[in-house]
Amino acid sequence: MTAGAVFLRAAANAGYYGMMTQLFGAQVRGGESAALVQVSTEPIEAQPDRYDLFVALDWDKVEQFAAEIPLDEASVIVADPEAGAVPAGIAKSKGRVVSLKMSDPDAIRLERGLYGKRVNMFAAGAVCALIGVDAKHVQAAIENIFEGKGAELIAANVKGAVAGAAAAPGLTLNFRLDQATLAARWLISGNQALALGALRAGVRFVGCYPITPATDLVEWLAPHLKKLGGRLVLGEDELAAINLALGASYAGTPAMTVTSGPGFSLMVETLGLAVAAEIPMVLIDVMRAGPSTGIASKTEQSDVNLAIYGAHGDAPRVVLAPISVADCINTAEYAVYVAESLQLPVIVLSDQSLGQATTVIDPSSERPKPLKRRTNGVAADKPFKRYAIGPDPITPMPLPGTPGREWVAEGLTHSEAGLPASGAGVHVAQINKRAKKVQRFDPGKYWGESWGEGDIAVLAFGSTIGPARAAARRLAAAGHPIRVIALRVLSPLPMAALARALDGVHRIIVVEQNHGAQLYHHLIGQKAIPPSAESVARPGPLPYRPSEIASYVV
Amino acid sequence: MSDAATKPVHDQALCVFAAKDFASGAHPVWCPGCGDYGVLAGLERALATLGKPPHEVVLVSGIGCSSRLPGYMSTYGFHGVHGRALPVATGIKLVRPELEVIAVGGDGDGYSIGGNHFIHACRRNADILYVVMDNRVYGMTKGQPSPTTEPDWDSDIAPGGIGLRPFNPLAIAIASGANYVARGFSGDPDGLANLIVDGIRWPGFAFIEVLSPCITFRPEQSEWKKVVRPTSLTIEQDRAAATAWCSATTASAWVSCTVATARRPRRHCSRKSRLPISNANS
Ligand SMILES: Cc1ncc(C[n+]2csc(CCOP(=O)(O)OP(=O)(O)O)c2C)c(N)n1
Ligand code: SF4
Ligand SMILES: [Mg+2]
Repeated sequence: MTAGAVFLRAAANAGYYGMMTQLFGAQVRGGESAALVQVSTEPIEAQPDRYDLFVALDWDKVEQFAAEIPLDEASVIVADPEAGAVPAGIAKSKGRVVSLKMSDPDAIRLERGLYGKRVNMFAAGAVCALIGVDAKHVQAAIENIFEGKGAELIAANVKGAVAGAAAAPGLTLNFRLDQATLAARWLISGNQALALGALRAGVRFVGCYPITPATDLVEWLAPHLKKLGGRLVLGEDELAAINLALGASYAGTPAMTVTSGPGFSLMVETLGLAVAAEIPMVLIDVMRAGPSTGIASKTEQSDVNLAIYGAHGDAPRVVLAPISVADCINTAEYAVYVAESLQLPVIVLSDQSLGQATTVIDPSSERPKPLKRRTNGVAADKPFKRYAIGPDPITPMPLPGTPGREWVAEGLTHSEAGLPASGAGVHVAQINKRAKKVQRFDPGKYWGESWGEGDIAVLAFGSTIGPARAAARRLAAAGHPIRVIALRVLSPLPMAALARALDGVHRIIVVEQNHGAQLYHHLIGQKAIPPSAESVARPGPLPYRPSEIASYVV
Repeated sequence: MSDAATKPVHDQALCVFAAKDFASGAHPVWCPGCGDYGVLAGLERALATLGKPPHEVVLVSGIGCSSRLPGYMSTYGFHGVHGRALPVATGIKLVRPELEVIAVGGDGDGYSIGGNHFIHACRRNADILYVVMDNRVYGMTKGQPSPTTEPDWDSDIAPGGIGLRPFNPLAIAIASGANYVARGFSGDPDGLANLIVDGIRWPGFAFIEVLSPCITFRPEQSEWKKVVRPTSLTIEQDRAAATAWCSATTASAWVSCTVATARRPRRHCSRKSRLPISNANS
């Protein structure tokens, strides 16, 4: 892992784009793992069809990862002969095996004792040298990653990397990349980017409960939130987490909760409450493979139905999905504004693949325009009509502490004054009020994005957009231009914008990573696409590869 | 254990507000004679005594007959879902510490579906008051045994009794880290108001279990007024001793009691009246 992180950061320092995803075995701590790193002079948004270079630090249980690390005859497998024979699962790729003695021959005994054989830094140094990343960038990366761990440890690691770089020319491999262009870029994961966006938007309260792959989002956010005077509360469970956030939001602080599928299931009860009582809040779901506990560390896009339809009763809400790792920042920021201005829960559907992909991005200088909660309200007769029925379905929600505007947030069907009621008239009026807020929601240019030309369109969301775009680039180069349409607003569907994006298209292919074709059925059900539209739907955890999408299209 | 001398709250109140200023005017759905009316009265009187304006108070509840209470008061309120009042109340208090946050509800709401939140709210010890109207039954769903129901209480859903040992809320609260626990009786709204004033003034999490008869599904509880007798405030620094005391006292006898650990209230707290004195022993 550290080797991958050093390689990626060093490449980023040298001006390359890159992306790293990680694979872990079943071991809770330690155990086998693999870092999948791509570097390029072009932005990277998808996992590749194949890897050029596989460096084995050891072979322990590596075969479990074989399906996730595609290699072929053109791939090079670098391994230390001391580690033993190449396991069959890797060897069957027919990649060329190149031997490299990886332990640092100059390591003194004390260093070996303290820091192991430092094969990981040796490997990072060797790979950086192979692609042409200067030693000074490697050193800077090591200093950054081991910051605060002491000069001695940093020096030992640098020494390992230098030894690796010295060994690289002996391999006579050519993986040199073109010269990179230096620019101010960020190295960030989707989870960090979502946290950043939420903080930018003014979220100052987070209720949460640990769950992979969402925990690192909250762990990254916690110190920043604290610095900003905000508060993070670790609930006793997800029921508490979401209710803590809802309470804080009712009291006037933009609030959010962060979870993954199993936790989201528990939160559904209070999602309905947030809809009924009209309290803003943001719920980030970093999707993982389900159902039930599924695969904690691996990706899937199978919570679409839960996000859009989960909750008993008619419970309209807004569901957004980030378009890329970089877009996680703006989508999260936008989500908070939508929640605050419409006084309802907004769900952000990310996934493990976006969330835990550490990526070099060009930060966008554009940010969503802030939208605020309506808290005023005309001095009224008592009781204050918090849920007044009128031309505007969005009615002021005064902050507790405001004299003369006392109201009760109510989850039961209620009157305009927020008192429980069971008459048909009030029920229908309040259902309509809440539905209208969502019907009238116009995301404008935030509906999604569309790229390319042609009469074939691939429609995708979240982490399938990257591979779809890579497939489109490849197809365009081969003379088959296609469009890629990325939905940021999954619900309510941006019908007009989608129709415009689909204008002139005669073949629509909806690509998503779940077995049930959840997005496809949503689009068909809402009549956003015709019945002739095609569905490419399969579960995770394997990412979509550009070739998989390209070969379906043509 | 030490007993604290007390003075009536009404002696010192700067009565800017009257109890009626805290009534919303909405007509309660409660059955005539329901104990919860007494709790409503006790809360209104306590807030009037404290001199807190209604807009600085937030009442938070879950679901049940008792959880309807916020709608009957003129304060801010949050009537959430079944069992989740305490995390909502905690969220409000953490971002708006200047507000007086009071969670209310029933025994089913607080000890059963919300039992985990109850324990952790005590542990978190945020400066909120939690009032549970314990009628030892799920009233709103028409008479099923709750965690505090006697093991042999006969009901449609559990003929012959549920056969489980009742939950001891006071002992659990004190053991879990609440700073102030008390038991009151809805038949004595003034005495209850005193406990509420104390609980609000006491720093940290204050929990008041109110014996509040369900006249409809537990008509025998109308006898409570004859048997309940008071005890006085006990300040105990040793949490384990307080837990044992609570456990022994409240499980074996029809008494009200107040046990407080940790620090004294920040503000002067004075009170005298306790539960109605009755000569009946249990
Ligand atoms: C999630 C959920 N489950 C069940 C119910 C049905 N229900 C409503 S009130 C209640 C029990 C209330 O008992 P308690 O808290 O003791 O209040 P009481 O009516 O006795 O005052 C139940 C089970 C519900 N509203 N929500
Ligand atoms: S059913 Fe029982 S608890 Fe509910 S209102 Fe009637 S008396 Fe009160
Ligand atoms: Mg009850």
